[in-house]
Amino acid sequence: MTLCHFAGMDAHSKRTGQTRRVHAVFCPIVPPHVLDHLSRSGDPVLYEPARRTLEHDALQRTRRRITTVRMTAGPAAPGEAPEAEKKPRRTISDAEHREQLPGTKVRSEGEDPVDDASVNRAYAGLGATFELFLKAFSRFSIDGAGMPLDATVHYGEKYGNAFWDGERMVFGDGDGEVFRDFTLPVDVIGHELTHGVTQHTVNLAYFGQSGALNESVSDVFGSLIKQYGLGQSADQADWLIGDGLFTDRVEGVALRSMKAPGTAYDDDVLGKDPQPATMEDYVHTGSDNGGVHINSGIPNHAFYRLATGLGGNAWERAGRIWYDALTSGDLAPDADFAAFAGATVSAAASRFGEGGPEREAVVKSWSAVGVSPAEQAPA
Amino acid sequence: MRITVTRSGGFAGIVRNATLDTRQQSDAAELTDLARTALEEGRGAPGPVVPDGFFYEVEIDGEMLQWADPHLTAAQSALVKKVLGEGSPGGAP
Ligand SMILES: [Zn+2]
Repeated sequence: MTLCHFAGMDAHSKRTGQTRRVHAVFCPIVPPHVLDHLSRSGDPVLYEPARRTLEHDALQRTRRRITTVRMTAGPAAPGEAPEAEKKPRRTISDAEHREQLPGTKVRSEGEDPVDDASVNRAYAGLGATFELFLKAFSRFSIDGAGMPLDATVHYGEKYGNAFWDGERMVFGDGDGEVFRDFTLPVDVIGHELTHGVTQHTVNLAYFGQSGALNESVSDVFGSLIKQYGLGQSADQADWLIGDGLFTDRVEGVALRSMKAPGTAYDDDVLGKDPQPATMEDYVHTGSDNGGVHINSGIPNHAFYRLATGLGGNAWERAGRIWYDALTSGDLAPDADFAAFAGATVSAAASRFGEGGPEREAVVKSWSAVGVSPAEQAPA
Repeated sequence: MRITVTRSGGFAGIVRNATLDTRQQSDAAELTDLARTALEEGRGAPGPVVPDGFFYEVEIDGEMLQWADPHLTAAQSALVKKVLGEGSPGGAP
Protein backbone atom coordinates (compact mmCIF):
# COMPACT_ATOMS: atom_id res chain seq x y z
CA MET A 1 0.00 0.00 0.00
CA THR A 2 1.32 3.42 -0.91
CA LEU A 3 1.48 6.16 1.66
CA CYS A 4 -0.81 8.48 -0.26
CA HIS A 5 -3.48 7.60 -2.75
CA PHE A 6 -5.31 9.40 -5.50
CA ALA A 7 -9.05 9.56 -5.28
CA GLY A 8 -10.09 10.17 -8.85
CA MET A 9 -13.73 10.99 -9.30
CA ASP A 10 -15.77 12.55 -12.03
CA ALA A 11 -17.16 15.91 -11.03
CA HIS A 12 -20.14 16.92 -13.07
CA SER A 13 -21.17 20.54 -13.31
CA LYS A 14 -24.86 20.96 -13.85
CA ARG A 15 -24.36 24.58 -14.82
CA THR A 16 -21.88 23.97 -17.64
CA GLY A 17 -22.99 20.42 -18.43
CA GLN A 18 -19.38 19.35 -18.37
CA THR A 19 -17.79 16.44 -16.64
CA ARG A 20 -14.21 16.78 -15.57
CA ARG A 21 -11.82 14.38 -13.92
CA VAL A 22 -10.64 15.62 -10.57
CA HIS A 23 -7.98 14.17 -8.37
CA ALA A 24 -7.64 14.60 -4.68
CA VAL A 25 -4.58 13.44 -2.85
CA PHE A 26 -5.07 12.30 0.69
CA CYS A 27 -2.69 10.42 2.87
CA PRO A 28 -4.11 7.54 4.89
CA ILE A 29 -2.60 9.21 7.94
CA VAL A 30 -5.66 11.46 7.97
CA PRO A 31 -8.03 9.51 10.19
CA PRO A 32 -11.60 8.99 8.95
CA HIS A 33 -13.12 11.11 11.71
CA VAL A 34 -10.93 14.05 10.72
CA LEU A 35 -11.98 13.57 7.10
CA ASP A 36 -15.53 13.46 8.31
CA HIS A 37 -14.98 16.70 10.17
CA LEU A 38 -13.35 18.33 7.15
CA SER A 39 -16.11 17.09 4.89
CA ARG A 40 -18.52 19.21 6.92
CA SER A 41 -16.36 22.31 6.81
CA GLY A 42 -17.83 25.36 5.13
CA ASP A 43 -14.70 25.80 3.00
CA PRO A 44 -14.82 23.92 -0.32
CA VAL A 45 -11.01 23.70 -0.37
CA LEU A 46 -11.29 21.59 2.76
CA TYR A 47 -14.49 19.69 2.27
CA GLU A 48 -14.29 18.73 -1.39
CA PRO A 49 -11.18 16.52 -1.21
CA ALA A 50 -12.25 15.18 2.18
CA ARG A 51 -15.66 14.16 0.89
CA ARG A 52 -14.14 12.61 -2.19
CA THR A 53 -11.71 10.60 -0.12
CA LEU A 54 -14.48 9.44 2.19
CA GLU A 55 -16.53 8.41 -0.81
CA HIS A 56 -13.58 6.67 -2.35
CA ASP A 57 -12.84 4.73 0.82
CA ALA A 58 -16.50 3.79 1.15
CA LEU A 59 -16.44 2.63 -2.47
CA GLN A 60 -13.46 0.37 -1.84
CA ARG A 61 -15.10 -1.10 1.24
CA THR A 62 -18.30 -1.83 -0.64
CA ARG A 63 -16.47 -3.39 -3.58
CA ARG A 64 -14.69 -5.71 -1.21
CA ARG A 65 -17.92 -6.56 0.53
CA ILE A 66 -19.86 -7.09 -2.68
CA THR A 67 -17.16 -9.43 -3.96
CA THR A 68 -17.33 -11.43 -0.75
CA VAL A 69 -21.11 -11.53 -0.76
CA ARG A 70 -21.25 -12.68 -4.37
CA MET A 71 -18.76 -15.43 -3.76
CA THR A 72 -20.80 -16.82 -0.91
CA ALA A 73 -24.28 -16.14 -2.30
CA GLY A 74 -26.37 -18.45 -4.45
CA PRO A 75 -29.24 -20.84 -3.79
CA ALA A 76 -27.09 -23.93 -4.26
CA ALA A 77 -24.83 -23.12 -1.32
CA PRO A 78 -24.55 -26.35 0.66
CA GLY A 79 -25.39 -26.16 4.34
CA GLU A 80 -27.59 -23.11 3.91
CA ALA A 81 -30.77 -23.26 5.98
CA PRO A 82 -33.99 -23.87 4.05
CA GLU A 83 -36.40 -20.91 3.95
CA ALA A 84 -38.68 -22.35 6.66
CA GLU A 85 -35.79 -22.67 9.10
CA LYS A 86 -34.72 -19.07 8.67
CA LYS A 87 -35.82 -17.38 11.86
CA PRO A 88 -35.00 -14.00 13.38
CA ARG A 89 -32.66 -13.73 16.34
CA ARG A 90 -33.89 -10.70 18.24
CA THR A 91 -32.53 -9.08 21.37
CA ILE A 92 -34.06 -5.99 22.96
CA SER A 93 -32.13 -3.99 25.54
CA ASP A 94 -33.20 -1.17 27.84
CA ALA A 95 -30.93 1.89 28.18
CA GLU A 96 -32.93 2.93 31.28
CA HIS A 97 -32.89 6.57 30.14
CA ARG A 98 -29.14 6.78 29.98
CA GLU A 99 -27.16 7.38 26.80
CA GLN A 100 -25.09 4.21 27.04
CA LEU A 101 -25.34 1.38 24.55
CA PRO A 102 -26.43 -1.37 24.50
CA GLY A 103 -28.10 -1.19 27.96
CA THR A 104 -29.57 -4.12 29.88
CA LYS A 105 -30.93 -7.11 27.97
CA VAL A 106 -34.68 -7.38 28.63
CA ARG A 107 -36.15 -9.69 25.96
CA SER A 108 -34.50 -12.27 23.73
CA GLU A 109 -35.78 -14.38 20.85
CA GLY A 110 -38.65 -16.69 21.78
CA GLU A 111 -39.23 -15.13 25.21
CA ASP A 112 -42.70 -14.05 26.32
CA PRO A 113 -43.80 -10.43 26.10
CA VAL A 114 -42.76 -8.26 29.04
CA ASP A 115 -44.68 -5.49 30.84
CA ASP A 116 -42.90 -2.77 28.90
CA ALA A 117 -44.83 -1.89 25.71
CA SER A 118 -41.82 -0.21 24.06
CA VAL A 119 -39.85 -3.45 24.38
CA ASN A 120 -42.67 -5.50 22.88
CA ARG A 121 -43.22 -3.04 20.04
CA ALA A 122 -39.52 -3.08 19.16
CA TYR A 123 -39.52 -6.90 19.27
CA ALA A 124 -42.59 -7.11 17.01
CA GLY A 125 -41.23 -4.43 14.65
CA LEU A 126 -37.95 -6.28 14.22
CA GLY A 127 -39.98 -9.39 13.44
CA ALA A 128 -42.14 -7.57 10.87
CA THR A 129 -39.03 -6.21 9.16
CA PHE A 130 -37.35 -9.63 9.12
CA GLU A 131 -40.55 -11.12 7.69
CA LEU A 132 -40.90 -8.68 4.78
CA PHE A 133 -37.29 -9.03 3.68
CA LEU A 134 -37.46 -12.84 3.87
CA LYS A 135 -40.90 -13.38 2.33
CA ALA A 136 -40.89 -10.71 -0.34
CA PHE A 137 -37.20 -10.66 -1.30
CA SER A 138 -35.75 -13.92 0.11
CA ARG A 139 -33.28 -11.88 2.14
CA PHE A 140 -32.20 -13.60 5.34
CA SER A 141 -31.99 -10.73 7.84
CA ILE A 142 -30.19 -7.41 7.45
CA ASP A 143 -26.95 -8.72 5.99
CA GLY A 144 -28.53 -11.57 3.99
CA ALA A 145 -26.72 -14.06 6.21
CA GLY A 146 -28.93 -14.26 9.30
CA MET A 147 -27.41 -11.41 11.29
CA PRO A 148 -28.92 -11.02 14.79
CA LEU A 149 -31.34 -8.12 15.16
CA ASP A 150 -30.59 -5.88 18.11
CA ALA A 151 -32.45 -2.88 19.45
CA THR A 152 -32.18 -0.58 22.43
CA VAL A 153 -35.24 1.25 23.80
CA HIS A 154 -35.58 4.07 26.38
CA TYR A 155 -32.36 5.67 25.16
CA GLY A 156 -31.65 8.96 26.92
CA GLU A 157 -34.01 11.22 28.78
CA LYS A 158 -36.96 12.61 26.84
CA TYR A 159 -34.92 11.77 23.77
CA GLY A 160 -36.86 12.71 20.62
CA ASN A 161 -35.09 10.55 18.09
CA ALA A 162 -34.26 7.09 16.76
CA PHE A 163 -31.12 6.12 14.88
CA TRP A 164 -29.07 3.26 13.49
CA ASP A 165 -25.58 3.15 15.03
CA GLY A 166 -24.13 0.78 12.46
CA GLU A 167 -24.98 -2.34 14.49
CA ARG A 168 -28.26 -1.76 16.30
CA MET A 169 -31.34 0.40 16.23
CA VAL A 170 -31.76 2.86 19.06
CA PHE A 171 -35.05 4.43 20.19
CA GLY A 172 -35.84 7.34 22.46
CA ASP A 173 -39.12 7.83 24.30
CA GLY A 174 -39.75 11.19 22.62
CA ASP A 175 -39.65 14.56 24.33
CA GLY A 176 -43.38 14.45 25.04
CA GLU A 177 -43.77 17.95 23.57
CA VAL A 178 -43.34 17.22 19.88
CA PHE A 179 -42.63 13.51 19.70
CA ARG A 180 -44.06 10.43 21.35
CA ASP A 181 -42.24 7.10 21.74
CA PHE A 182 -40.27 6.29 18.57
CA THR A 183 -41.20 2.60 18.78
CA LEU A 184 -44.86 3.47 18.08
CA PRO A 185 -44.90 3.51 14.24
CA VAL A 186 -43.74 0.21 12.72
CA ASP A 187 -42.48 2.07 9.63
CA VAL A 188 -40.00 3.94 11.87
CA ILE A 189 -38.64 0.60 13.13
CA GLY A 190 -38.48 -0.67 9.55
CA HIS A 191 -36.77 2.56 8.48
CA GLU A 192 -33.97 2.12 11.03
CA LEU A 193 -33.34 -1.55 10.19
CA THR A 194 -33.32 -0.76 6.48
CA HIS A 195 -30.35 1.54 7.16
CA GLY A 196 -28.63 -1.72 8.06
CA VAL A 197 -29.67 -3.33 4.76
CA THR A 198 -28.33 -0.32 2.84
CA GLN A 199 -25.10 -0.45 4.85
CA HIS A 200 -24.66 -4.11 3.87
CA THR A 201 -25.43 -3.53 0.18
CA VAL A 202 -24.64 -0.25 -1.61
CA ASN A 203 -23.52 1.56 1.56
CA LEU A 204 -24.80 4.85 0.14
CA ALA A 205 -22.68 7.73 1.47
CA TYR A 206 -24.68 9.73 3.99
CA PHE A 207 -24.60 13.17 2.42
CA GLY A 208 -25.99 14.93 -0.64
CA GLN A 209 -27.97 12.90 -3.17
CA SER A 210 -26.53 9.52 -2.12
CA GLY A 211 -27.50 10.39 1.46
CA ALA A 212 -31.02 11.37 0.38
CA LEU A 213 -31.23 8.00 -1.45
CA ASN A 214 -30.07 6.25 1.73
CA GLU A 215 -32.89 8.01 3.60
CA SER A 216 -35.42 7.31 0.86
CA VAL A 217 -34.61 3.59 0.71
CA SER A 218 -35.31 3.46 4.46
CA ASP A 219 -38.63 5.28 4.02
CA VAL A 220 -39.62 3.04 1.09
CA PHE A 221 -38.98 -0.25 2.90
CA GLY A 222 -40.27 1.17 6.20
CA SER A 223 -43.56 1.91 4.46
CA LEU A 224 -43.59 -1.50 2.74
CA ILE A 225 -43.13 -3.23 6.11
CA LYS A 226 -46.21 -1.44 7.38
CA GLN A 227 -48.20 -2.20 4.21
CA TYR A 228 -47.18 -5.87 4.25
CA GLY A 229 -48.18 -6.23 7.89
CA LEU A 230 -51.56 -4.60 7.30
CA GLY A 231 -52.12 -6.43 4.00
CA GLN A 232 -52.67 -3.13 2.20
CA SER A 233 -52.41 -2.64 -1.54
CA ALA A 234 -50.71 0.47 -2.95
CA ASP A 235 -53.99 2.37 -3.26
CA GLN A 236 -55.06 1.47 0.31
CA ALA A 237 -51.79 2.54 1.96
CA ASP A 238 -51.40 5.98 3.60
CA TRP A 239 -47.80 6.38 2.37
CA LEU A 240 -46.96 8.29 5.53
CA ILE A 241 -43.74 8.00 7.52
CA GLY A 242 -44.09 8.34 11.28
CA ASP A 243 -47.89 8.43 11.53
CA GLY A 244 -48.70 8.59 15.26
CA LEU A 245 -45.30 9.96 16.27
CA PHE A 246 -46.36 13.57 16.79
CA THR A 247 -48.13 14.56 20.02
CA ASP A 248 -51.59 16.09 19.78
CA ARG A 249 -50.01 19.53 20.13
CA VAL A 250 -48.44 19.35 16.68
CA GLU A 251 -50.35 20.38 13.58
CA GLY A 252 -49.46 17.50 11.31
CA VAL A 253 -50.34 13.93 10.36
CA ALA A 254 -46.83 12.47 10.17
CA LEU A 255 -43.18 13.34 9.55
CA ARG A 256 -43.17 12.72 5.82
CA SER A 257 -45.61 11.91 3.06
CA MET A 258 -44.43 9.88 0.09
CA LYS A 259 -47.72 10.57 -1.67
CA ALA A 260 -47.48 14.35 -1.27
CA PRO A 261 -44.03 15.40 0.00
CA GLY A 262 -44.16 18.78 1.74
CA THR A 263 -47.65 18.30 3.20
CA ALA A 264 -47.05 16.10 6.26
CA TYR A 265 -47.06 18.95 8.80
CA ASP A 266 -47.48 22.69 9.04
CA ASP A 267 -46.99 23.83 12.60
CA ASP A 268 -46.34 27.12 14.44
CA VAL A 269 -43.31 25.72 16.26
CA LEU A 270 -41.94 23.17 13.76
CA GLY A 271 -42.65 25.16 10.62
CA LYS A 272 -43.79 23.49 7.42
CA ASP A 273 -42.70 20.10 6.04
CA PRO A 274 -39.78 21.14 3.77
CA GLN A 275 -39.74 18.10 1.47
CA PRO A 276 -39.73 18.62 -2.29
CA ALA A 277 -41.50 16.18 -4.64
CA THR A 278 -39.50 17.04 -7.76
CA MET A 279 -35.97 18.08 -8.80
CA GLU A 280 -37.24 21.58 -9.53
CA ASP A 281 -37.55 22.15 -5.79
CA TYR A 282 -34.37 20.30 -4.71
CA VAL A 283 -33.11 21.97 -1.54
CA HIS A 284 -29.44 22.94 -1.46
CA THR A 285 -28.33 23.16 2.15
CA GLY A 286 -25.28 22.36 4.25
CA SER A 287 -27.43 21.32 7.20
CA ASP A 288 -28.52 17.69 7.82
CA ASN A 289 -25.64 16.31 5.71
CA GLY A 290 -26.90 18.27 2.73
CA GLY A 291 -30.61 17.85 3.43
CA VAL A 292 -30.74 14.04 3.39
CA HIS A 293 -34.11 14.05 5.21
CA ILE A 294 -35.43 16.78 2.91
CA ASN A 295 -34.49 15.73 -0.61
CA SER A 296 -35.45 12.11 0.07
CA GLY A 297 -38.92 13.39 -0.85
CA ILE A 298 -37.95 13.18 -4.54
CA PRO A 299 -37.07 9.45 -4.77
CA ASN A 300 -39.84 8.74 -2.23
CA HIS A 301 -42.39 10.27 -4.56
CA ALA A 302 -40.98 8.41 -7.58
CA PHE A 303 -41.51 5.15 -5.69
CA TYR A 304 -45.04 6.13 -4.71
CA ARG A 305 -45.83 6.94 -8.38
CA LEU A 306 -44.47 3.59 -9.52
CA ALA A 307 -46.28 1.56 -6.85
CA THR A 308 -49.65 3.24 -7.40
CA GLY A 309 -49.17 3.24 -11.18
CA LEU A 310 -48.58 -0.52 -11.22
CA GLY A 311 -51.29 -1.17 -8.62
CA GLY A 312 -51.66 -4.22 -6.37
CA ASN A 313 -49.28 -4.88 -3.48
CA ALA A 314 -46.40 -2.40 -3.60
CA TRP A 315 -43.81 -4.91 -2.34
CA GLU A 316 -44.48 -7.35 -5.21
CA ARG A 317 -43.32 -5.34 -8.20
CA ALA A 318 -42.28 -1.77 -7.22
CA GLY A 319 -40.56 -3.02 -4.04
CA ARG A 320 -38.92 -5.87 -5.93
CA ILE A 321 -37.48 -3.44 -8.50
CA TRP A 322 -36.09 -1.15 -5.76
CA TYR A 323 -34.65 -4.14 -3.90
CA ASP A 324 -33.05 -5.52 -7.08
CA ALA A 325 -31.47 -2.12 -7.79
CA LEU A 326 -30.09 -1.96 -4.25
CA THR A 327 -28.57 -5.44 -4.48
CA SER A 328 -27.52 -5.38 -8.15
CA GLY A 329 -23.91 -4.48 -7.42
CA ASP A 330 -24.18 -1.82 -10.15
CA LEU A 331 -24.37 1.13 -7.78
CA ALA A 332 -21.48 3.01 -6.22
CA PRO A 333 -21.74 4.44 -2.70
CA ASP A 334 -21.79 7.95 -4.16
CA ALA A 335 -24.68 7.16 -6.56
CA ASP A 336 -26.85 10.16 -7.33
CA PHE A 337 -30.57 10.13 -8.14
CA ALA A 338 -29.92 9.59 -11.87
CA ALA A 339 -27.63 6.61 -11.21
CA PHE A 340 -30.13 5.02 -8.84
CA ALA A 341 -32.96 5.66 -11.31
CA GLY A 342 -30.85 3.98 -14.02
CA ALA A 343 -30.36 0.95 -11.79
CA THR A 344 -34.13 0.68 -11.21
CA VAL A 345 -34.80 0.82 -14.97
CA SER A 346 -32.28 -2.00 -15.54
CA ALA A 347 -33.71 -3.97 -12.63
CA ALA A 348 -37.24 -3.67 -14.02
CA ALA A 349 -36.06 -4.81 -17.46
CA SER A 350 -34.11 -7.80 -16.12
CA ARG A 351 -36.88 -9.04 -13.87
CA PHE A 352 -40.01 -8.21 -15.85
CA GLY A 353 -38.79 -7.88 -19.44
CA GLU A 354 -37.30 -5.13 -21.61
CA GLY A 355 -40.62 -4.27 -23.26
CA GLY A 356 -42.78 -4.85 -20.20
CA PRO A 357 -45.09 -2.32 -18.58
CA GLU A 358 -42.92 -2.32 -15.43
CA ARG A 359 -39.87 -0.85 -17.13
CA GLU A 360 -41.98 1.79 -18.82
CA ALA A 361 -43.70 2.64 -15.52
CA VAL A 362 -40.31 3.09 -13.82
CA VAL A 363 -39.14 5.53 -16.50
CA LYS A 364 -42.42 7.45 -16.22
CA SER A 365 -42.21 7.68 -12.42
CA TRP A 366 -38.72 9.17 -12.48
CA SER A 367 -39.70 11.52 -15.26
CA ALA A 368 -42.60 12.78 -13.12
CA VAL A 369 -40.14 13.90 -10.44
CA GLY A 370 -37.69 15.41 -12.94
CA VAL A 371 -35.00 12.72 -12.85
CA SER A 372 -33.51 11.31 -16.08
CA PRO A 373 -32.25 7.78 -15.40
CA ALA A 374 -28.54 7.37 -16.19
CA GLU A 375 -27.64 4.86 -18.89
CA GLN A 376 -26.51 1.56 -17.40
CA ALA A 377 -23.49 -0.20 -18.78
CA PRO A 378 -24.66 -3.48 -20.41
CA ALA A 379 -24.19 -6.39 -18.03
CA MET B 1 -20.83 32.95 29.23
CA ARG B 2 -22.94 32.73 26.08
CA ILE B 3 -23.83 29.29 24.66
CA THR B 4 -25.57 28.64 21.36
CA VAL B 5 -26.68 25.18 20.24
CA THR B 6 -27.90 24.26 16.76
CA ARG B 7 -29.14 20.70 16.44
CA SER B 8 -29.72 19.28 12.96
CA GLY B 9 -30.29 15.83 11.47
CA GLY B 10 -32.26 13.26 13.39
CA PHE B 11 -35.01 11.02 12.01
CA ALA B 12 -37.23 14.06 11.52
CA GLY B 13 -34.54 16.31 10.03
CA ILE B 14 -35.94 19.26 11.96
CA VAL B 15 -33.43 21.94 13.01
CA ARG B 16 -33.57 23.31 16.57
CA ASN B 17 -31.63 26.32 17.71
CA ALA B 18 -31.28 28.15 21.03
CA THR B 19 -29.01 30.53 22.93
CA LEU B 20 -28.51 30.78 26.66
CA ASP B 21 -26.57 33.35 28.66
CA THR B 22 -25.32 31.86 31.92
CA ARG B 23 -25.38 35.29 33.61
CA GLN B 24 -29.17 35.24 33.42
CA GLN B 25 -29.42 31.83 35.05
CA SER B 26 -29.89 31.16 38.75
CA ASP B 27 -27.49 28.19 38.43
CA ALA B 28 -24.86 30.25 36.58
CA ALA B 29 -21.85 28.76 38.40
CA GLU B 30 -22.91 25.15 37.83
CA LEU B 31 -23.78 25.85 34.23
CA THR B 32 -20.43 27.52 33.57
CA ASP B 33 -18.66 24.48 35.05
CA LEU B 34 -20.74 22.16 32.88
CA ALA B 35 -19.94 24.19 29.77
CA ARG B 36 -16.21 24.21 30.58
CA THR B 37 -16.20 20.42 31.01
CA ALA B 38 -18.19 19.95 27.80
CA LEU B 39 -15.78 22.25 25.99
CA GLU B 40 -12.67 20.45 27.23
CA GLU B 41 -14.12 17.09 26.27
CA GLY B 42 -15.50 18.30 22.98
CA ARG B 43 -12.72 20.06 21.08
CA GLY B 44 -11.87 17.07 18.89
CA ALA B 45 -13.61 15.70 15.83
CA PRO B 46 -17.31 14.90 16.30
CA GLY B 47 -17.01 11.14 15.66
CA PRO B 48 -18.56 9.34 12.71
CA VAL B 49 -22.03 10.41 11.66
CA VAL B 50 -24.63 7.64 12.04
CA PRO B 51 -27.87 7.49 10.00
CA ASP B 52 -30.55 9.64 11.68
CA GLY B 53 -28.15 10.70 14.43
CA PHE B 54 -28.39 14.25 15.78
CA PHE B 55 -25.59 16.62 14.83
CA TYR B 56 -24.77 19.56 17.11
CA GLU B 57 -22.99 22.81 16.36
CA VAL B 58 -22.17 24.45 19.64
CA GLU B 59 -20.70 27.89 20.27
CA ILE B 60 -19.30 28.60 23.73
CA ASP B 61 -18.00 32.14 24.19
CA GLY B 62 -17.09 32.38 20.52
CA GLU B 63 -15.47 28.94 20.25
CA MET B 64 -17.15 26.66 17.67
CA LEU B 65 -17.54 22.93 18.31
CA GLN B 66 -19.15 20.02 16.45
CA TRP B 67 -20.59 17.00 18.21
CA ALA B 68 -22.52 14.01 16.87
CA ASP B 69 -24.73 11.39 18.52
CA PRO B 70 -24.09 8.84 19.95
CA HIS B 71 -20.63 10.12 20.84
CA LEU B 72 -21.51 12.86 23.34
CA THR B 73 -20.09 12.76 26.85
CA ALA B 74 -22.45 13.14 29.82
CA ALA B 75 -21.50 16.83 30.17
CA GLN B 76 -22.00 17.55 26.47
CA SER B 77 -25.35 15.82 26.48
CA ALA B 78 -26.52 17.67 29.60
CA LEU B 79 -25.39 20.98 28.15
CA VAL B 80 -27.19 20.68 24.80
CA LYS B 81 -30.33 19.52 26.63
CA LYS B 82 -30.18 22.50 28.97
CA VAL B 83 -29.61 25.07 26.21
CA LEU B 84 -32.22 23.65 23.82
CA GLY B 85 -34.67 23.25 26.69
CA GLU B 86 -34.21 26.56 28.51
CA GLY B 87 -32.46 28.89 26.08
CA SER B 88 -34.24 31.37 23.87
CA PRO B 89 -34.80 30.26 20.27
CA GLY B 90 -32.49 31.72 17.67
CA GLY B 91 -28.91 32.96 17.69
CA ALA B 92 -27.62 30.71 14.94
CA PRO B 93 -23.85 30.81 14.61
ZN1 LIG C 1 -32.95 7.44 8.35
